Amino acid sequence: MRLKARRGLTMPDPLVSLIDVVFFLLVFFMLVGRMDATAPFDVSPPISVLGEDLPTGGLTVSIGAEGQMALDGVELDAAALVARLAALRESRPDLLVRVNAHGALRLSILLPLVADIEAAGVGDIVLVVTPNPI
Amino acid sequence: MQLARRRKPSALISMTSLIDVMLILLVFFMVTSTYLDLDMMPMVQSSDEAEAPPGTSAAAGAPLLVQLSAAGQVRLRGQVLEIATLGAQLADMVADNPGLRVLVLPSGAADAQALVGLIDAATAAGVTDLRVIRPEGGQ
Repeated sequence: MRLKARRGLTMPDPLVSLIDVVFFLLVFFMLVGRMDATAPFDVSPPISVLGEDLPTGGLTVSIGAEGQMALDGVELDAAALVARLAALRESRPDLLVRVNAHGALRLSILLPLVADIEAAGVGDIVLVVTPNPI
Repeated sequence: MQLARRRKPSALISMTSLIDVMLILLVFFMVTSTYLDLDMMPMVQSSDEAEAPPGTSAAAGAPLLVQLSAAGQVRLRGQVLEIATLGAQLADMVADNPGLRVLVLPSGAADAQALVGLIDAATAAGVTDLRVIRPEGGQ
């Protein structure tokens, strides 16, 4: 018995370009959405009039109003966070750390943590602020 | 003359549903993505030590100590000041001494917003050398 060979399923050209567009949009929004490292708790950075442009790259340390801490969205305690940063610093000497602290956070938590991160060898630490649109 | 009508090419898959899917994806990612307009304030810079080693600054005179209380009040030379008044006084001092070094001694119970407000006022007054002293203990 002879069977008929099935014709290969070919897509029309306009459909191929449309799928390209869909993939492009998907990748674009997934990347843009990841730009903000979300913390598992609420963080509203302090408001500043004279902030500078936030540099891209680096790691984000989030600190909630009650002192909860997270590194790139993963909740950690202070000792584990500093140890992890010290380990990362070994492979990345020019590591940048963005401290995303809640505006109501007590300085007795913020300043010692920044000092510990600096002591771990991180040379560039910036404090994230919300620009004040005057 | 009679022209033959071109036959419409038939699509294998209906385009309409694909465009629907695309729209749903677009709306989903646009709604779930967060676009935060954030700025930053440098706290520690690797170039700090090279630029101004402690004690060798060209700044004339002793550093100026500004205290920040737990309630967010600013104290300069024993006087409690409003942030705006502090800014004006600092601007006068910077006009006399452009290399003025300001040391901020905050209470551990003050919040980050109060410190950022103080740094803002000092920066707006033209202070270029500002350091924050870490309070000992969690007062």
